[in-house]
Amino acid sequence: MRIFGLLLAAIVLIALPFFTTGYVIYLANILLTFTVLCLGLHIVIGEAGQFSLAHAAFYGIGIYVTGIAGTKYGLPFPVTMLIGGVAAAAVGFVIGVIALRMRDIYLALATFAFGEAMQWLFQNWDAVTGGPNGLRIAPAHLFGHEFVTDKDAYPVVVLFALLMIGLTILISRARLGRALRAVRESEVAAQAMGIPVQRAKLLAFGLSAFFAGIAGGMFTLFSTFIHPESLGFSTTMLALTMVVVGGLGSIGGAVGGAIVFGLISELLRQAPSFQEIAYGLILIIFMMYAPKGLFAFLADKFGRARHG
Amino acid sequence: MQLSRRLLTLAGLCLAASGLSPVKAQEAGITANSIKIGMFAPLSGANFAYGFDVANAAKMYFDKINKDGGIHGRKIEVVLEDDRCNANDLVAAVKKLVEQDQVFLLHGGSCSAAVVAAKEYVVRQKVPLVMLNASGDGALYPPTDYIFGAFSISQYAVGGAMVDFAAKNLGAKKIAYVNHDDAYGAWNLEASKFDAEALKVDLAVESVSPTITDVTAPFLKLRAANADALVIVTYARPAALLIKKAAEMGFNKPIILSVTGTANLAQLAQNVGGPDALKNFYIQEVLSDLPGGPKIKWVYDMYKAAYPELSAKAEHPQTYMPYGIPSAMSIVKALQAAGPNVTREKFLEEMKKLNFDSGVMAGPVVFSATERAANKATVFIKYDGTNQTMVPGVFTSRWKYKG
Repeated sequence: MRIFGLLLAAIVLIALPFFTTGYVIYLANILLTFTVLCLGLHIVIGEAGQFSLAHAAFYGIGIYVTGIAGTKYGLPFPVTMLIGGVAAAAVGFVIGVIALRMRDIYLALATFAFGEAMQWLFQNWDAVTGGPNGLRIAPAHLFGHEFVTDKDAYPVVVLFALLMIGLTILISRARLGRALRAVRESEVAAQAMGIPVQRAKLLAFGLSAFFAGIAGGMFTLFSTFIHPESLGFSTTMLALTMVVVGGLGSIGGAVGGAIVFGLISELLRQAPSFQEIAYGLILIIFMMYAPKGLFAFLADKFGRARHG
Repeated sequence: MQLSRRLLTLAGLCLAASGLSPVKAQEAGITANSIKIGMFAPLSGANFAYGFDVANAAKMYFDKINKDGGIHGRKIEVVLEDDRCNANDLVAAVKKLVEQDQVFLLHGGSCSAAVVAAKEYVVRQKVPLVMLNASGDGALYPPTDYIFGAFSISQYAVGGAMVDFAAKNLGAKKIAYVNHDDAYGAWNLEASKFDAEALKVDLAVESVSPTITDVTAPFLKLRAANADALVIVTYARPAALLIKKAAEMGFNKPIILSVTGTANLAQLAQNVGGPDALKNFYIQEVLSDLPGGPKIKWVYDMYKAAYPELSAKAEHPQTYMPYGIPSAMSIVKALQAAGPNVTREKFLEEMKKLNFDSGVMAGPVVFSATERAANKATVFIKYDGTNQTMVPGVFTSRWKYKG
């Protein structure tokens, strides 16, 4: 079943540019970018159990740093993306240091405040971010080739999305992943087992921010404009909703949540008269009937059907 | 044998010629009987009041043109998308309209910050974008060949004209000025400073978030400046909070509110605590007459006939409804002038030549080789919570784009 699903996904990803319009490719690019954003949130919340509400800020750092590195300094895109990811990770580590002293609602509030402060910075640091006028980003380039259209960017966006999914699986299966989950279940027990809890938390925040920074870099591959309005709390909430709807604590849930919920959001845009009600209803239904997430729900149903 | 070889050579030459000659494909969105226009506006969410009925007004104007025979025998087909006043959704809507629906031109945008996000794409695709009612100055300056806007008014003109009005008509020497801390706020402040300098007026500026929930701090700072008038250039929510706070704190100097804060005047009067808060209150307006007044009654009548169910509801037509007419008129005029063999290039050339009075707005629609902002004129109305009285005169800003 899993192999069939992966095969189907691979066929869809490869065939998409040959049979669809640029609009569909734009949607695919956005959904894959949000997939990486959600994977970052999955690491810090799903794996390590640390409540972070600053994800849009790290995403914004990724966009601005990648965009500026390409536009002002003319660096090619893999380098700009790496710089964007590392810059976001560095800030993530700083937040991680603060997170060592807090937990639960206090940590959520502190990261929320950081997110709001960063949006204020994006909005008011005119000389660097363009302030409220937004920032125009030059098209990404590599070996003289410019990524101008959505179709140009698509193979690279897919490649980065797959790389980041692979990296998440590696982290999850490695000692680090087990350490993060142990911290999530009980910090005291984890410490008793010899897990360096503080280092694990710091790594979770840094890695999560790195993923968000890379997602920001992916955004600059197919978008040439960023406005700070897009980097507020609503973006963090959107990513959080995607992760929760997909299934908190599961990689498949984060990926599936980003794609399914992103598609629902876009489809509801075509039905403006009742989209708010539909959006709310879908969320309530998910929370009532699939509290462990869409994919856990489906696995449960299919599992039962298969075993009679 | 020789003949068949010659024929083959001729056929080959013809094929080569057909491959090399610049055979123009049919323009996207144009058929013998129709012109497809891609419209986008906020049709849902918090900013619904800024675009829903504006889009309806543009649609009803196109319907009227279709009933009158269309444009060179072609009927206008509108494909409408919701942009939620959000940059990402707006870009998605624009890409769908251009690449999936294959429209001839784009007609949309009611929120400035969001519509600017589509600029690069539209210019790259060489698709005409005629804004609905967004100022969209960020996409108009520097001018491009493809984007036309500010049919309601340029934000530069709003800020400057409000300072001009406060100084000239109300005798203000010092003005307390509240704007948004976003792009739209930055544009109107730039021109306000320019006019204030020309008029030798001092500005005390407070920039607030459009989603602010407590205005006590910025208001106290402005009150401490001891200004002669309070100019508010914000959306309805910050405006209502500021006016209410001014009344609570006994501020009795004139208050002037920009058109962006007047989406629902009756609601505003309620939100500020009643008419007492509006004793010395003016609103900036861009229509040629009071809403429903004789000059623009035809727009309201047309709306009633086109949307009987909507107009039966108290909240419709929304305040900004008539703003949809001038942009729709401009499209129709440019399409007519471009002739039956219309192309995007011909349409854009005709747009650049437009200079006409829509009869709906306070000023004419004027474009040129270097000008992409349609309207720069505004009027002021005294409002006491119930009655509206037009103040004589048309105002504008001294600010000019210098490139």
